[in-house]
Amino acid sequence: MIAYICRRFLSMIPSLFLASVIVFSFIHFIPGDPAQVMLGDQATPERVQQLRESMGLDRPLYVQYAKWIGGVLRGDMGQSIFFHKPVLDVIADRAETSLLIAVFSMILIIVVGVPIGILSAVRCNSRLDQLFSGASMFFASIPTFWLGLNLMLLFAVTLKWLPTSGFPSIVESGDWSNLRYLVLPCITLAAPNSALIIRLTRSSMLDVARADYVKTAWAKGLSEGSVTMRHIFRNSLISVVSALGFTFVALLAGTVVTETVFSLPGVGRLVVESLLRRDYPTIQGVILIVAFVYMLVNLLVDLSFAILDPRIRYS
Amino acid sequence: MKGRKLLVFLAACVCLVLVGGAATAAPAKGGVLRMAVIDEPPTLDQHVVTSDLTTMIAQHIFEGLYTFNAKYAPVPLLVKSDEVKDGGKVVVLHLRDGVKFHNGKVMDAEDVLASLNRWGKFGARGPVLFGNLEKVEATGKLDITMTFKAPFAPWKNLLAFLNGGPVIYPKDVVATAEKKPIEQYIGTGPYKFAERNPGRYIKLVRFDDYASRTEPADGYSGKREALFDEIRFIPVPDVGTRVNGVKAGDYDYAEQILGDLFDSLKADDAVVTTVNQGATQGLMFFNSKTGPLKENFKLRRALQAAMNMEAVLRTAVGPKELWKASGSFMPDSTTWYSKSGVDAFSNGSAEKAKALAKEAGYAGEKITLMASTSYKFHHDSTMVLVKQLKDAGFNIDYQIYDWATLISKRADPAQWDIFFTHHGFVPDPVLYTFMSESYPGWWTTETKRALAKEFSATMDDAARKLVWDKIQALAYEEVPVIKTGDHFTYDIYSPKLDGLSASSLIWPKFWGVGFKATK
Repeated sequence: MIAYICRRFLSMIPSLFLASVIVFSFIHFIPGDPAQVMLGDQATPERVQQLRESMGLDRPLYVQYAKWIGGVLRGDMGQSIFFHKPVLDVIADRAETSLLIAVFSMILIIVVGVPIGILSAVRCNSRLDQLFSGASMFFASIPTFWLGLNLMLLFAVTLKWLPTSGFPSIVESGDWSNLRYLVLPCITLAAPNSALIIRLTRSSMLDVARADYVKTAWAKGLSEGSVTMRHIFRNSLISVVSALGFTFVALLAGTVVTETVFSLPGVGRLVVESLLRRDYPTIQGVILIVAFVYMLVNLLVDLSFAILDPRIRYS
Repeated sequence: MKGRKLLVFLAACVCLVLVGGAATAAPAKGGVLRMAVIDEPPTLDQHVVTSDLTTMIAQHIFEGLYTFNAKYAPVPLLVKSDEVKDGGKVVVLHLRDGVKFHNGKVMDAEDVLASLNRWGKFGARGPVLFGNLEKVEATGKLDITMTFKAPFAPWKNLLAFLNGGPVIYPKDVVATAEKKPIEQYIGTGPYKFAERNPGRYIKLVRFDDYASRTEPADGYSGKREALFDEIRFIPVPDVGTRVNGVKAGDYDYAEQILGDLFDSLKADDAVVTTVNQGATQGLMFFNSKTGPLKENFKLRRALQAAMNMEAVLRTAVGPKELWKASGSFMPDSTTWYSKSGVDAFSNGSAEKAKALAKEAGYAGEKITLMASTSYKFHHDSTMVLVKQLKDAGFNIDYQIYDWATLISKRADPAQWDIFFTHHGFVPDPVLYTFMSESYPGWWTTETKRALAKEFSATMDDAARKLVWDKIQALAYEEVPVIKTGDHFTYDIYSPKLDGLSASSLIWPKFWGVGFKATK
């Protein structure tokens, strides 16, 4: 197992190198100039050129790449053009929000999605199953910005139970009550994802339920609970855990719409805004870190398979 | 005796009413203003950027030598008085004494000289003034002398306009920055910079040693009193969230709300609306360097004739109160308002356009029009304009990009024929981008060049206005640019705020503003 993990970590190196080359090339080849974006519409070409030179953007691309990747290897991802501070600090500022959103949304998704999925599978084609199927189709279909704005209207504007937007840092303030700022965003993100997990859990369990070993379990006279949870649910978890892994990574960096609606300083918004501002070092840094996290989560998901299914062994 | 008692009683009543009235009339000191803004500024360095968001925040921290009153006339701010000599060639500025920077240093001529020199060399609008300057020097502890190559009329307007303008930094701050944006935000304004928390807020706090002018407040001029303990500018990119945030009490002020919501918000007691008087205008720049529109003024006039700006503004802006289909480049709230040439504005006649295009020899050549989706107003305006142009028989290649791509592409004249942008309010027409020969579009005809020179050299205001009339008439004849009209952004704020006027001049300002005093 240890050797397998080491091999996986080693295999990440070329993948990350490739990701760095692709992201660097991609953002430098699309039109747009960070100096011009920063100085605005009315800046003279001379002034834009002066700023480009002071940022080192006038150097050949391979020189810029070598400087950047050399820094990355030393743990320095460069300076954000827009924020005028180290990229790692910018990402760290945003990581708190994204991490908390991802963790709390995942808890909601698991707590809501998995039990309802099990219930739907157990009561397949019953009225309860139809109700859950209809509800999950509804929540999977509605746009997140629509759901977010409506939750905001109800709970923040009308009832005034929760804040509309923003998220003051807990790390900086030490105030855990700031978690209330994340309630509506997490519900907004969890709703469509829970719906997908309900559908996936249900269909996986129904697939497994047809397997011979499940029929054997029933024939042995095991209780419904034992067959459902030990034989059907556990064996259907592989696909559910895979989906949860991908969902977690998507929640970490791909929630730009929800972050925009609730004005959350998260990683998703940072990527899109940095792209529009052509803040090259920030985009490169965020994408490299997200790629690494993606590979890490993938590894953890793969390792979890060995726990869920004893037939799977990594050597 | 009874009469005296009655008189005393009445006098006491009057005093109580006056005291009570005063208590409710003046905003209270203290509290934190939370303002929801559309984005984060890249820097607060006023010299180098022309972003309105930057200026709106930075005007509370930094000050210039002059500013504008409610009639958009330049009046002294850090300057005490000035002398214009030698027919306008020499200007001596006498600075106010005892004006402190936020770091405690007292401002003097060396700080002003260093700031002006940096602005002239690296600033967004500095070269307009410095291109006409022979020299600028400190001629005393509190005296600055500017010597122009020839009389240069717009000097005071240029010194007063804060956006991309010459705010005064301490000399040592200037020395550390040079061409890089300044990172030490030290000014002389009523609020001082406290913190930037990326993605969350920019925090300003009251500057207790602020040296305010004593004249009554008038526009941006006169007395400035910081009442809030703190102002937080919080980036809230979604307009629906900005509105909901003010309604829910999470924000006190939100800027740039959608036109579609104007009527409903005006009728909503939970918020107050305020319209920005400084008009923004959509501008379509024509390529004067290459392509089918180069020097073909008749073809440009044909394109102009096809456009109906009311339809454009109705679609892009919304309610009638928020736009004016006005052909005058300068708004009617200024002395520069002009009707010269405006008969050609917004004709909306496909027939006239076709006839002019035929006379111009147009044979269906492709005309590339670039616009951006980064600004909804740009995209909505051009959607209508492209339809009107196509209906008039023009072969329009409509290309849509994000803003960063568009401003990169427009630097190459081979890639476009027309591009759409917008222009914020400027107090002097000399600051219009189309007056600059280096701005994409590159309007450089001999007639324009001669008129622009005359415009800068004419010192008398009335005579300058006549020259401006000629320039505007020429702009409708040579059509380097087409204006779509004036549109006015609006903001909303909580009824708890006091001291805000029904409309703001250019950018909302928060000195003299506080929370309503409790009775």
